[in-house]
Amino acid sequence: MTAMQPVRPPAHPPKARPDARPMQMALGAGGIAALSALAAAIVLPPRSAAPVSATQNQQSQATDSQPSPTPIQLVRPIRYVQLSPGETAPPGATVIDASAPTPITVIVNVPAPAAPKAAAQTPTVIKTTQSGKVIP
Amino acid sequence: MSVATHAEGRVSRRIGTDRLETTFTPIEPVSYTTTAMGGRLAIHLEAHGRADEAQRDSRRLVARVDRWAARLTRHTEISDLAKLNADPSSSVAVGPVLAAALMAGMHASDASEGFTDITLLDARLAAEGKSDLVAASRLGEWQIVRRPRGAAVIRRPFGLRFDLGGIGKGWIADRALALLGSWPSAVVDADGDLAVRCSPGECWDIGIEDPRTDGVNLAVLRLTAVPGGAPTRWGVATSGTSIHRWNLGGTVSHHLIDPRTGRPARTDVVQATVVAETALRAEALAKAAVIAGSVEGFALLERARVRGAVLLTTRNEVQALPVTLPLLAG
Repeated sequence: MTAMQPVRPPAHPPKARPDARPMQMALGAGGIAALSALAAAIVLPPRSAAPVSATQNQQSQATDSQPSPTPIQLVRPIRYVQLSPGETAPPGATVIDASAPTPITVIVNVPAPAAPKAAAQTPTVIKTTQSGKVIP
Repeated sequence: MSVATHAEGRVSRRIGTDRLETTFTPIEPVSYTTTAMGGRLAIHLEAHGRADEAQRDSRRLVARVDRWAARLTRHTEISDLAKLNADPSSSVAVGPVLAAALMAGMHASDASEGFTDITLLDARLAAEGKSDLVAASRLGEWQIVRRPRGAAVIRRPFGLRFDLGGIGKGWIADRALALLGSWPSAVVDADGDLAVRCSPGECWDIGIEDPRTDGVNLAVLRLTAVPGGAPTRWGVATSGTSIHRWNLGGTVSHHLIDPRTGRPARTDVVQATVVAETALRAEALAKAAVIAGSVEGFALLERARVRGAVLLTTRNEVQALPVTLPLLAG
């Protein structure tokens, strides 16, 4: 016969464990927010840290035909400006009439030079070339 | 439209109507050719029996050009330009040669509506795979303050570095021709950029090299001076993408940087030749035409009122502004 040993109560009652669910929800929400910010940073085009003035922005839109992956400052002369009523042109700008026809540049095709005639044509001694061209 | 014919060493040119006809004598020069500025330097003089004197003056001029080029190159660490680029100060005093060349760079930029830009050294190095710096045009961020005796102070923001490139050669050609004042008909060929002076009644024939075939001309320009008038001054320059090009990481690239993107220009122009008043202006506008592409380039050249322009496109078309036609020989 075995004697039943009395169950002793622990010296210190166990502490009540806090409910983990609120913390898990908070961590989950924070993770989702971080992922969203990271995705936005990847998808959006890079921007200059420095503020861009309105003039610079207009020049970029006017002259940059292709999107550039890096911030480029363009300082090209303004060639043509069309003014709305009450506006004045910036210094040095050329103002054209909005109703004026678009300028057209005429070009011509150049025929190949005639074959040298042995007696009549002197060979050209002087040539214009791209830089670095070796002329024998 | 002009018609040119050759007969017994003289050239008759009919301009516009049959009544207006002028006869020009082609120049047979005494030529001196050497290497300089990393390329070709040639001096052509109409000697009129003074061949020895022509050779002597040419040798002296070559020595002078070598000294200018030594100050303006970016390919050594001891040139004035390299020292300026290496100086971290925002204000740097420079000598008269570099000051004049940088001033020429400003004029070239103005003439080409910003397409020619001497502040694109980092972009050029990036295109060659030698730099990772962000490449952007910095036109308008620097200035030249003139000092006595041609010297100057360059003011620029930190990190702005210069590369004269072809602009330096055009400037050298013009300056060298000015030193040949005692020769009424003379040509200085600074690696393809030509400064030309023609005495009245004579003409120079200038071939435009076809980059597709060695020894073949795309066209021949005949530069003349009206008999009885003053000597005529010309500048002829050619720029293009078919010689200075390389393969970087599987991508074919070249040396002409588009200031709008900071990267090698994407263009339909293989080569552009421009005739203008000076070699510097011709060089700036030829480069601009290549970078801008044929449509915008021709419009730019027309606005600049060039004396002539011949473009070779990627479609193998050889095209010109109509103002060029009277210059085309044969």
